[in-house]
Amino acid sequence: MKIFKRKKNRKVVVVGIDGAPCSLLRDYMERGIMPGLKEMCAGGSLLKMNSTLPEISSVAWTSFLTGKNPGEHGIFGFMEIDPETYEYRFPDSRSVKAPGIWEKNGSRSVVFNIPQTYPARPINGVMVSGFVALDLKEAVYPERLFRELSAMGYRLDVNAQLAASNPEAFFRDLFETFEKRSKAIMRVYEKEDWDLFICAITETDRLHHFFFDSALEGRYYGRFADLYSRLDSFLKEMADRAEKDGAVFMTCSDHGFTEIESEVYINRWLMENGYLSLSGGEGLKGIERQSLAFCLDPSRVYIHMEGKYKKGTVGKSGREELIGVLKGNLRDIRFQGKEVIKEIFLGEEIFRGPYACCGPDLYLLPNYGFDLKGLTRSPRLFGTTRFRGMHTYDDAHFFISRDFERENLKIEDLAGIISGFLECPCAGGLK
Amino acid sequence: MLQEEKKTLTEMDADRKIERSKAVFREAVERFGPDRIALAITGGKDSTTALWIARRACEEMGVKLPLCMFIDEGDVFDEILEFMARIKKLWSLDIACLKNKDVSSKARGLGDMVKVSSLDEANQAALREMGFIGEEFPLMPDSTVCNHLMKTVPMREFITANGLAAVSIAIRWDEQAARRDEDYFAARANPLHTRVHPILHFTERDIWTAIFRHDIPYNGLYKQGYRSLGARCATGRASDMPAWMQDMENTPERVGRGQEKEKVMGQLRALGYM
Repeated sequence: MKIFKRKKNRKVVVVGIDGAPCSLLRDYMERGIMPGLKEMCAGGSLLKMNSTLPEISSVAWTSFLTGKNPGEHGIFGFMEIDPETYEYRFPDSRSVKAPGIWEKNGSRSVVFNIPQTYPARPINGVMVSGFVALDLKEAVYPERLFRELSAMGYRLDVNAQLAASNPEAFFRDLFETFEKRSKAIMRVYEKEDWDLFICAITETDRLHHFFFDSALEGRYYGRFADLYSRLDSFLKEMADRAEKDGAVFMTCSDHGFTEIESEVYINRWLMENGYLSLSGGEGLKGIERQSLAFCLDPSRVYIHMEGKYKKGTVGKSGREELIGVLKGNLRDIRFQGKEVIKEIFLGEEIFRGPYACCGPDLYLLPNYGFDLKGLTRSPRLFGTTRFRGMHTYDDAHFFISRDFERENLKIEDLAGIISGFLECPCAGGLK
Repeated sequence: MLQEEKKTLTEMDADRKIERSKAVFREAVERFGPDRIALAITGGKDSTTALWIARRACEEMGVKLPLCMFIDEGDVFDEILEFMARIKKLWSLDIACLKNKDVSSKARGLGDMVKVSSLDEANQAALREMGFIGEEFPLMPDSTVCNHLMKTVPMREFITANGLAAVSIAIRWDEQAARRDEDYFAARANPLHTRVHPILHFTERDIWTAIFRHDIPYNGLYKQGYRSLGARCATGRASDMPAWMQDMENTPERVGRGQEKEKVMGQLRALGYM
């Protein structure tokens, strides 16, 4: 009787695939690498989706979980700076200012490996934190799961440091981490009681960062085909289970991916053009009083305002003028004749909500190929490193095992869609 | 223990807390005898304060101080070793240094893979017991697997070899969630012994109050901004300010440990951020 009741409650299953571009999934279906997804698409809908600005995992997944804009949930990137000391600060799950879907619906939920949820906090259900998670013990709720996951050899993340030094060791680690993660997810799926099941696969994003130039052909193409075909089997298995349980099945990614042509160091540009001066010290610690603006990863430009930052000198009227000048000049950055920046947004244009003022004054969205960075120590404006892939704002994806259409779908819309199915289990939900 | 009782204990003045800790320690000595207890010390502020309290309790009882036990987890700060040498001399301590040499000798450096099959039976058994099923693991003192091997295994052997009945450990309720349910005396199996936790009711601030009020020696790393000391690779400074000047009530003590800034930065850098 209990089993019957349990299965009946299972309403929504979402598998996040970190950094999986819609275009790549379509391509892999054509190539026969993802037959499972292709079959699923016959009875469902695969849509292109926009990420958040910034198109960074921590921001996008937080918008996914809360259904909110960064100005409402308060997460604008992986790091912030302390306005007094200019030291980096790292927001964690406690910094998220808006409730997650699981808190709003009163449903029993599993939230497994979603970035920006570390340390794990009490939940009606199960939480296993995702990136940046450091200590498995602090990454699981309830505690009983810790033993189980550590016994399985569950790994919080791939050791990305291996990618440059030892690609073979990196791939081994990547596939093992994927296998362990997918096993752990299946196990929790079967054993726990839930209405809403959300999980994410991180290994795609890790592979992309270092080897995206091999996504369609090249030296490591075989690794892509291998990972995506294993992913396909996992998705199919999850979708079949969801169907059996009468739950709607979805997948989504937090951003797209494309190849890097050049990295572009915005703080270097600010320095060369007289907007920023740094003496020694890590990051922005050595910022000098005359600095007018600085950049935090990936391309969040902040005006060094008086009153907001200890050494800030720009006043309100100066801010408007400076923003105008910066917008004009940043647009002129060219790499081998190509425009680097596609669009420059004012903070107030893209952020709304009580924390909008904590966000950047300007946000730069690059053209494909130009990976904007907040690095402070680059001697040049352009450069390439070990990274071969960069995030894109468009070309994230959303799949749902239903007929579904939506113009301009963005990741923060998904919480509403999920909630619809939680409230209306008869699979109405969609309007 | 009742929540209310815990609350009262936690809210006492630092000197009353010292008295309470002495009472716990006295009870331990009366129950087990000074020869069958070991005091775990790490060179950190908590265990040094607990040791200072234990010395006073022993003096008052007219018994000798139990043996001290230091576990080398494989990546110890030089400052910790220096500090240990300093208090050893200052207080004429007997310190046993424990190290899982079987594990540490199987890897050249941190991060190197250790093959399970290369380990001795005690270590393999410890891995089986925690349910570890892999063939190898990286030598990282702060990882779950290594932590278990580097700490638990040598401590077990030490307890058995010396016929100990109790080990005193300086954990505190306010340190982390996992310690909130601990009691002053807690039975442990394999091998059967009792954990004694004499300073559970101290807060981080009480420790510093006690240190400065009674001139208890402390490690210089705290002055540099470290709030909590662990393996070197897993410990970072929480701030530039000395530990005792930081906002102890509103910022996590174990920042710089595990969660913690350097490691977060390491992970972000590896993915191209910063």
